[in-house]
Amino acid sequence: MKALRWGATALLILAALAAIGAHYVAPAGYEHQFRESPGVSPSAQHPLGTDDLGRDRFARLIYGLRVSLILAPLAAALTTLMAALIGGIAGYCGGWVEGCALVIMDLFLSIPWLFLLITVRAMLPLNISPESSVFITFLLLGVLGWAASARIICAGTRDLLKSEFVWLARASGFSGFKLLRLHLLPNLRGTLLAQFWISIPVFIIAEANLGAMGLGVAEPLPSLGSLLRELQNVVTLRPEPWRFMPLLVLIMVVSCFQTLLNKNEVRT
Amino acid sequence: MLRSVGLAVLRLLVIMLLASMIGAVLIRVAPGFSSDEQQLNSSLSAQSIQAIKQARLTNSDLPRYYANYLAALLRGDLGISQSLNQPVRDLLRERIPVTMRSLVLALALAWLIGLALAVAAQLTRSRLLTFLTDGVSSTFISTPAVVLALVFVLLRLPPQLAATLLVFPKIYRYSQNLLQQSYQLPHVLTARAKGAGAWRVLAWHVAPMAAPQMLALVGVSVSIALGVLLPIEVICDVPGIGQLAWQAAQSRDLPLLVNLTLVVTFVTVCATMLSDSARRSFTRSAA
Repeated sequence: MKALRWGATALLILAALAAIGAHYVAPAGYEHQFRESPGVSPSAQHPLGTDDLGRDRFARLIYGLRVSLILAPLAAALTTLMAALIGGIAGYCGGWVEGCALVIMDLFLSIPWLFLLITVRAMLPLNISPESSVFITFLLLGVLGWAASARIICAGTRDLLKSEFVWLARASGFSGFKLLRLHLLPNLRGTLLAQFWISIPVFIIAEANLGAMGLGVAEPLPSLGSLLRELQNVVTLRPEPWRFMPLLVLIMVVSCFQTLLNKNEVRT
Repeated sequence: MLRSVGLAVLRLLVIMLLASMIGAVLIRVAPGFSSDEQQLNSSLSAQSIQAIKQARLTNSDLPRYYANYLAALLRGDLGISQSLNQPVRDLLRERIPVTMRSLVLALALAWLIGLALAVAAQLTRSRLLTFLTDGVSSTFISTPAVVLALVFVLLRLPPQLAATLLVFPKIYRYSQNLLQQSYQLPHVLTARAKGAGAWRVLAWHVAPMAAPQMLALVGVSVSIALGVLLPIEVICDVPGIGQLAWQAAQSRDLPLLVNLTLVVTFVTVCATMLSDSARRSFTRSAA
């Protein structure tokens, strides 16, 4: 299992390096059109061929990986922050504050994610730029995904408040922000980290589903999800297996996160 | 008993009230709410266009709009779909049974496979079996629903099976963790040390400990399955509420989309409440 985790870490580092250095790895760029060679098979110049518009598939994959690998952790960080704030305050205050927070959490947990996402995504103006669509898509994921984590943080805070060291801290005059900063947050760090790691693969998959249905990142900017749209032309798949590459990369990245996630869960 | 039922109904009411409020705000603030494309219809008279404008203006006040929306909702009037030009209620009446059939079948199979694999992994304690089942569940967890649906279209397999394959890994992982924890409990270790058979230990000592949390997972799995069915219905061309939601999103038909989300929320809240009360009853009877 240790070797598997090392392998997953190595693969993720490799993917992250390729994504960060996309400009050097794929100098063709994600939107440059090779108009003399649209839809060509893999070659030395185009390792994964070109799409119907003559854009280099390999470059689009690397840039798509960059979008997903940078923005999914950012969205996860936002979710974790919101969960820590809302869950922490609810658990700390208790009473009607906790009751109200729990009802709102229940509401967010009751609505299947994808329904909520496509509803809010459908409200956006049609003329938003591709860059804005990327940020809005991941921002929505971050803003809408906090409820489950907040519930766990809320329960964790409530349990911590009953612990002896917190009673001692309170008896010693610690209260409010100081108690939260010095005693509660450090003890919730493991739970928060686990929630952060859990959210990353979930957001990558959610973006992939949205993107593949045409409700994610707008063209010409690629993401792992928007690249999957090419797979919808299933009839042409059999003679061109390299079209599956974005899917393989997506499965690899998410599986690597899942493998590392198990380790973090054990740690917490 | 009556108190807990009352509290559950109150919780359902509050959640649905909040959901409807969010829905009304979303519809009200959506771009294009204050205009109607009929205003561009040159065959309409100036008076008709003025009447349309007046009707829109009446709804521009958010509290009044919400009050009207809620009153209509209570009468069972979910409005008219802008894109399909049909009452939302009729559309839902046609589509809900299709999705419910898929949901029940997918969930039944997912629970069967997930639980069977988790129990097999615990009973046999085979590292190979655990490695294989973990690998399979990881692959399906990492696969977007859209892609699996495409594969199912290509292979002409039933779409409900795709939903099963996407839901079972979550049930398997949770059940396996739960069973693993239950097998570590002192009374289970004692029973095994005294020579109780594997099935007897499972049925009499492990299952009662794991059952309450499993029952709670039933409600959550309904929400997971509904989320998974949306892309599957879109790709596999199944005329359920998932496909309807996607069509509404594509044509920016917000009244339809919001009401659909409201209905789905109602189904999931009811499922969660039922599974929660089943869990509580089980815990009470076991105590």
